[in-house]
Amino acid sequence: MLVVYLMTEMEERSGPPITLIDPIDMSKLDPTFRDEIKSMPNGEALSACFACSTCTAACPIANMWKYKPHQLIRMILLGMKEEVLSSNEIWLCLTCYECQERCPQKVRVTDIFFDCKNLAAEEGKIPPNVVALAKELLTKGQLYTVTADWEREDMGLEPEVPGLSVEAVKTILKDTRTRKIVGGDE
Amino acid sequence: MSNPVLIIGAGVAGMTAAVELADSGIKTVLVERLSTTGGNALNLYKAFPTDDCFYCFEGNRWRPGIRKCFYRSALTEQPNIDLKMNSQVEEISGLPGNFSVKLDIGPQYVDPKKCTMCGLCIEKSKAFSLVSPQCQPQAVVYDPEIEDTGTTSAAEECPTKAINLDAKSTKKIISVSDIVIATGYHEMQPVNVDEYGYGTHPNIITQLELARILDPLGETKGVLLRPSDGKPAKRVMMVQCVGSRDENYYAYCSKICCVFALKHAAILTQDHEDVEVSVVYMDIRTYDRYEKYYRDTRNAGVEYIRGRVSRIEPQDDGSLDIIVFDSLLNKYLKFSVDIFVLSSALEPSAGSSQIISSLGLKSASGFIGAINPETEVVVGNRIYACGSALGPSEVPESVTQARAVVSKILQSKE
Ligand SMILES: Cc1cc2nc3c(=O)[nH]c(=O)nc-3n(C[C@H](O)[C@H](O)[C@H](O)COP(=O)(O)OP(=O)(O)OC[C@H]3O[C@@H](n4cnc5c(N)ncnc54)[C@H](O)[C@@H]3O)c2cc1C
Ligand code: SF4
Ligand code: SF4
Ligand code: SF4
Ligand code: SF4
Repeated sequence: MLVVYLMTEMEERSGPPITLIDPIDMSKLDPTFRDEIKSMPNGEALSACFACSTCTAACPIANMWKYKPHQLIRMILLGMKEEVLSSNEIWLCLTCYECQERCPQKVRVTDIFFDCKNLAAEEGKIPPNVVALAKELLTKGQLYTVTADWEREDMGLEPEVPGLSVEAVKTILKDTRTRKIVGGDE
Repeated sequence: MSNPVLIIGAGVAGMTAAVELADSGIKTVLVERLSTTGGNALNLYKAFPTDDCFYCFEGNRWRPGIRKCFYRSALTEQPNIDLKMNSQVEEISGLPGNFSVKLDIGPQYVDPKKCTMCGLCIEKSKAFSLVSPQCQPQAVVYDPEIEDTGTTSAAEECPTKAINLDAKSTKKIISVSDIVIATGYHEMQPVNVDEYGYGTHPNIITQLELARILDPLGETKGVLLRPSDGKPAKRVMMVQCVGSRDENYYAYCSKICCVFALKHAAILTQDHEDVEVSVVYMDIRTYDRYEKYYRDTRNAGVEYIRGRVSRIEPQDDGSLDIIVFDSLLNKYLKFSVDIFVLSSALEPSAGSSQIISSLGLKSASGFIGAINPETEVVVGNRIYACGSALGPSEVPESVTQARAVVSKILQSKE
């Protein structure tokens, strides 16, 4: 599992610190990140976010996250590109859209996390388990193999699973970014 | 003849009350401590909610958003208004309907009815100055503290003989039927709030000081410059609730500082190029239609940081390093800024407590308190208050309260 919680690097200090506070230096962040996300079709309302944290209240799993949805949006606004794109959270998101549905400022939270995943993927920052899934898709043409079992009978379906053409899927995927994610010719 | 109405303070509220009473045929005595009317609103540049400009005189019509301020131009022309500039109320005694008021009327060195603002005296002597081209009454002012050789010749050569250097202050006792308190507010000088360093660095200023910088008629002609070295300022940080909502200073919310901070943020991002603005806040209180400023400024890229300032470190190049705790992110952030603006509390103006105790009024955190919450402007028997004398208020609200006072007085006279 990919766990990268990099904080922006600090300048070398001479002498002892005045306080034990180790702040994030705003000048080391990337203010263009906000604009980058804003320029994407889902990002239009990004800066309308007023940090109410409704999205986090709505999220069924953010309790487990180091950065909650409202914090990720804030980090995007502040320009913490590195931290957002290497965060686990954007990949852990269930894409359930609860947050986006409830956001009072119409920020497309879930879609913005999709955009972040795409940007992260372009930088090659993908958790290994996601890469493994992509590989599975590419080689098998499907993620889950449907097997014949008693439930089909109970539901009055024909006992045999109708043939699924995985070849077409595999061929198509070869020309997509999924292939790039997996990399090489494997 | 019935007694006139005394109005103390010629800010927006006092002027409105005076003009509307006068227009209804009631004589008023309008007492103003300073040498120009208008009060705090004079120095605000653009005003919410309309983004109009406060400079409302004919000569300024070319400026965007100007409407002629009918109140201020009426002050010297309306015969029912007796305007007493540089004056104060010394003592009030007597009974409602027939209060006896002792006035300390400042010396009238320059007669506003004669002065044409030709500028001759200003050239001759530093003791004469023009507060602003929009000052009302329309006249230069003379400062007897500044002694210089040109004053006598200025007085002699004044084409309209408007100058009287020997003018003396006078005491006068008048009888009035009603008293209207419109003494307004004062912006707290946050020198005691140590963590913000006000007074220790020229680039740490208050919102009223920022309003002067933004004003095209101010010293910098509206160009955003650092007070320390006059270099262009590109990064501005504001901090809200300085001395308000703080039991160590004023426990109340000053109500309008969120709105004027955001108004300034809007001006900085819209009228100026490449200026970055951050606002550090505990709550943003943009009540009513002012939510629009909040949304617009977020869209314009203003950075809102919920949290508090932890340290300010002045740098050799005149900038300030400011560490802010972002309570939503649970992280400390370090900014480098050119100007740090404090949204300081609005406190009762000097003298409010004397007025309250001498007239036996109620105090509402130092402002004048209503005797009955349903009639906010009635503060005693034939004693009224309006505008920021009642507590922090915006201009439209001050004007509405002044009109409520007028209506109460007119009803009582029927
Ligand atoms: C930074 C800033 C920006 C603002 N921007 C806006 C805005 O955009 N829009 C808006 O609607 N409002 C704005 N306001 C609020 C606005 O300034 C007030 O609403 C308005 O000035 C209140 O008018 P007033 O007449 O009640 O009081 P004041 O303007 O304070 O006038 C009081 C007058 O009484 C005089 N006085 C006081 N005590 C005495 C005494 N004892 N004897 C004789 N005279 C006395 C004073 O000299 C003064 O002339 C802003 C305020 C601040 C601080
Ligand atoms: S719900 Fe919307 S406005 Fe509120 S914090 Fe989340 S993204 Fe921002
Ligand atoms: S879409 Fe993702 S972030 Fe939004 S509520 Fe669902 S899991 Fe949480
Ligand atoms: S010389 Fe006389 S008229 Fe001219 S500005 Fe001075 S006081 Fe006014
Ligand atoms: S108006 Fe805003 S800045 Fe002013 S005291 Fe209230 S919350 Fe604080």
